[in-house]
This record gives sequence, structure tokens and C-alpha cells, in this order.
Amino acid sequence: MTQPSSPTVSPDTADNTPRADTAIRLRGLYQAFGADAVALAGVDLDIPAGSFFTLLGPSGCGKTSLLRVIAGLDTPDAGTLHIGARDVTRVAAHKRNVNTVFQSYALFGHLDVAGNIGFGLRMHGHDRATINDRVQKTAAFIQIDNLLGRRIDQLSGGQRQRVALARALVNEPDVLLLDEPLSALDAGLRSRLQLELLRIQRRLGMTFVFVTHDQDEAMVMSDYVAVLNEGRIEQVGTPATLYERPANPFVARFMGHANLFAIRARDATGLTTDFGRLAGEFARADHVLIRPEIMTIHAADAPEVASAGDNVIHGRVRERLYRGSRMEYTVAAGETELVVVDDNRGQGMFEIGAGVALVMETTGVVTLDG
Amino acid sequence: MWYALLVLLYAPLAVVVVYSFNSVNSSADFVGVSLRWYRALFADDTILAAAWNSAVLALVSSMLATAIGTALGYGMYAHRARRLGWLIWLIYLPIIMPDIVYGIAQLSFFSRLAAATQIFDLGLGTMIIAHVSFQAPFVALLVYSRLVGLDPRLFDACSDLYANAWQRARFFILPTLQPAIVAGFFLALTLSIDDFVISYFTSGPESVTLPIFIWSAIKRGISPEINAIATLMIGTVLAAAAITLAFQYVRHRQSGE
Ligand SMILES: Nc1ncnc2c1ncn2[C@@H]1O[C@H](COP(=O)(O)OP(=O)(O)O)[C@@H](O)[C@H]1O
Ligand SMILES: [Mg+2]
Repeated sequence: MTQPSSPTVSPDTADNTPRADTAIRLRGLYQAFGADAVALAGVDLDIPAGSFFTLLGPSGCGKTSLLRVIAGLDTPDAGTLHIGARDVTRVAAHKRNVNTVFQSYALFGHLDVAGNIGFGLRMHGHDRATINDRVQKTAAFIQIDNLLGRRIDQLSGGQRQRVALARALVNEPDVLLLDEPLSALDAGLRSRLQLELLRIQRRLGMTFVFVTHDQDEAMVMSDYVAVLNEGRIEQVGTPATLYERPANPFVARFMGHANLFAIRARDATGLTTDFGRLAGEFARADHVLIRPEIMTIHAADAPEVASAGDNVIHGRVRERLYRGSRMEYTVAAGETELVVVDDNRGQGMFEIGAGVALVMETTGVVTLDG
Repeated sequence: MWYALLVLLYAPLAVVVVYSFNSVNSSADFVGVSLRWYRALFADDTILAAAWNSAVLALVSSMLATAIGTALGYGMYAHRARRLGWLIWLIYLPIIMPDIVYGIAQLSFFSRLAAATQIFDLGLGTMIIAHVSFQAPFVALLVYSRLVGLDPRLFDACSDLYANAWQRARFFILPTLQPAIVAGFFLALTLSIDDFVISYFTSGPESVTLPIFIWSAIKRGISPEINAIATLMIGTVLAAAAITLAFQYVRHRQSGE
């Protein structure tokens, strides 16, 4: 029941002419640092122009390597890269109209904030008046115009992040690359800057390629997300596609899904898995995924359970977590456990050990291979 | 305890400075304050020639060593992860080598070279080469340690912000290294002024420097003139150190507001 991802982002290796609405087109990118450090193991990807595009994956999966290839800081061992209609695979970094917000910010300590922001314009040979004017405008846009005279070591983490952003944006690049720009910040500042970054991208209409290892961050911010694993793209799609229709168990687990079970047997009327039987018509697959939100939890003898029909799982509460707006239960059923959430409407919590029944909508059940 | 150590360190220097102002020729009685030994110093052509040689040697060798050492330090950094990376350890050799061994090696090297080519006669030229060869590694190490302390992404940021190799050197590497280069120059200056052993072995009859002059003069006994020379040398070295610090302080303040 997996669905193909949106046509604008699904790679099509046969098609060799970049589309007008494609900002970046990657084909067969391969990059290794020695025999056992394969950073990119064949990446095909189309990044739509003007989108907020996120590369999501665990640490060491090749996100930074991919950004460096796009920026031109590394040359891939194999494969091609187009930015717009131009093949830039062998074009030096300083000749690409792409700018990067580095994970460490990489601000120049020998220059003040204004000097940092104006660096790219200066290298481009703009005159002093133009540089000052554009630095001033960008600083105002990012709301750091009061910091222009400061030295870098007088700035807080959040301020440095903004300076790094302004230093890249002032050049009006075709593509802005952001390597985990928020991961060094504390939670409150981080969620504020997430919204702000999104607002900036929307206002400029610039293509942003954003790297994160945090699936919540990817979901909140992105138009499209590409999930990377060991140098390969596992799935590309909108946040909703990835969450609701993950292509394989890796993506499902990475999106935070706990209820993922191997299918043991399947017939015309349903399938059998670790917690028991699930009735319905399912495609042939290896795993079944049941999102906590498609289940409701009831006392074992509640009237809803009797009228629910086939798809009821009986079990016992093993753990419960009070999360304010909702309660989260771990329920032992068959040979396994399921996680289910219940909105807090003041109904009180089930006790640990209580017999409960989980009622589910089979339309929300996803089967997946791999 | 610490004060005892300070006394131990600075008492001999203080004695030299105090007796250089003595009005009589004695290293036992301090009779009165006078500048007569300084006047004698500036009237003595041999001493002035030695001072001139020392100054030329120190300035020329320090400038050459700063340029060469900076290039060397950057080369060490650029190649640190490559196959020839181990070669950087050779840079330590002139630093750890005893001066006497180094001086003798230079002497025999230049003698052979002079015999073969007729142009490397011992003199100020060979002294400058010898000094550069032991100063440059110190400069290189200062520059190298500044570079390895930098975020390597800064080099990427230059390319990302459209700087070509030349612009990167001009607008990022050199300004970033400036404190290390200035410190390296003044360190080279003090090393050169300090040096006796290597100078002694590589000098010729025409190129007596202050330390060599002092050494030969002292064989005839310590005179108050020697105290005066020593005091001036202490002053020069302190000034070099002070300039280094002041320069870094000013730079720090300038980039402030
Ligand atoms: N310069 C390098 N030398 C050796 N291995 C590297 C280098 N850069 C990256 N790698 C390896 O490539 C893989 C991907 O790294 P990276 O792209 O930094 O991952 P991510 O940014 O997703 O954490 C890792 O296994 C890493 O060890
Ligand atoms: Mg990374």
C-alpha cells in the first residue's frame, strides 16, 4: 500500500534534461573516503525550485557529504550535479551561485559582523557603497542591524546563527544550503528560529536545502523531505507522505513509529502478526504499521468494543505516561506490545495491569516491504 | 617561595643594569650614578660596528625567517593529512639540536661550500643564512599552531563565499595569521640577538656582532662597558616583547567597536 512520492521529487534516471522547476538535479552521486567509508552510495534526487527541502537521516548517513558536493567543496567520485540547467559537477565552489550556513557557522574571527556579512560581495568585487547598502538591508531583514559593529566572539549562539544566515542570504544565491543550523541551540530558541527560518524562506521564495537529524524539525519545516540512510535515499516525499505512508521499516522507525510488526501469514480475509489477527484486505508485504492515532483504547467490557466488529486487540496495560494533553499507554497483546495514545478529556487513566481493548480503523493501517 | 625564584631569575640582570650606571670602574662599589660607560660605548668604533652588524643580522634574518617560516607553517598545515605529513617532524630538528652541534655543522657546511663555489665566504651573509635556518622553524610552528586551532570549515566558507585561492590568502589566511606572524617576527628578532654559539661559528673577520665582541672582550675581564652593552640588549629584547604584546592588544581593541 505504499504510494509513489510526488512526481516532482521522484528521481527519473531516464530523463536527462533538467526541468525548469528543478533547482538541483543529482544523478548517481557516489563519494567514498577510502574503501570502508562510503559517504554517498548512489544518490538520485530532484529538488524543486523554491521549496524548503530537507535531508533527514541519522548521524553519519551522508547529509553533510551531500551538501558539500552541492556546494562544490568536494567533488564526487561519480555522478552528475545540475544547478538550474547548468552541469556544475566539475565547477569550483567559488564559481557556484550557492551559499552555505555551516554547522559550526564558520564565521571569520578577524572581521566584525558587517565584515562577515559583506565578505561574499567583497569577493565578487562590488563597490563599497553597494556592499554597505546590501549588508544593511540584509541585517535589517534578519533583525541583526544593531549587531553590525560587534566582534564575533561577542555574540551568543543564536546571534551567530543569524549572522551566518545573513552572510549567505546577502549574496542572493540560487540555492541556500543549511547544515543542521539549529542543532546547537537550546529548545526554546530553536523552535522560534524554526518558524523564523520558514518565514524567511517563504518571503524570499529561495530554494532551501536544510539538513537535520531531527524528524520533528523536518516535519514542521519542510515542503519535501528526503530520508537518507548509509549514503542512500530511502524515500522522498512530503512530511505527510513520510509519516503516513513510509516506504520501508527504516523510514517508519525514523519517523518515530513504534507499532511496526513482521507479518507472519496472510490470506484473503486478513493477516497474522505478533499481537494476533488483523482482518481486512492487505497487499502482499513484510511488515504492518499501526500508528497510535488510528486506535482508541477502551475498557475490555466497554460497549464500543462489542460493536466494533473484527479489529479489536485485547491486552493489558503495561506502562502509562501522562503527557498532559494526552496519555500514552504501552499495551501487552499476544507476544508483543503496542503503543496507543488517548486524548485527555478528563476521563482518568487506566491502571497498570488493567484489561483493555484497542479498536482500530483498518483504513489507516499501512503495510510495507523491507 | 615564588619570590625566591624571582630573585634567582632577575638578581643577576639587576646587578648588570645597576653597575652599568656606576660612576667608577668597579664591580664591587657603587659610588654614584653616571652615563660615562654609555658615552664610552658610543665613542668606540669597534662596538658601534658590532652593534650595526647585530642589528643588520637580526633585522634581515628575522624578515627572511618570517616570510619563509610562514610559508613553511602553511605548507605543514596544508599537508598534515597527506602522505608526506610525517615530514613536518623534521621542522623540530633545528629546534632540539644543541646549538654547538648546529653551529659546527653550519661551519663545516659553509667551509665546504666556500671551497667549492668561492662565494660563500664566512661573514654576514653566512650568518644570516644560519640564523634564518634556526629562526624559521620557530615561526613555522607559531603559524602552524594558529592554523590547526582554526575551524577547517573557515577555508570552505571562503570558497563558498566566492573567494579564489588568491583572495582566500589575502582576505582570510593572512589577516587571521597576522598575530602569529608578528609574534614570529619578534621571536626571531630575540633569537637572533640572543644567539652567540651559531653566530660565532659562522662569522667571519668582518662580521663581529655584539655577543661575539662581548665574548672576546670578557676574556680581558668584565668592564662596566660590557654592563652597559648588556643593559642595552636587555632593553632591546624587552622592547621587542612589549611591541609584540602592544600590537596584539591594539589589534584586539581595533576590531572591537
Ligand atoms: N573527510 C572524510 N574522511 C573520511 N570519512 C569521511 C569524511 N567525511 C565524511 N566521512 C564519512 O562519511 C560518512 C558520512 O558522513 P557525513 O556526510 O558527515 O554524515 P552526516 O552529516 O549525515 O552526519 C561517515 O561515515 C563519515 O565518517
Ligand atoms: Mg553532518
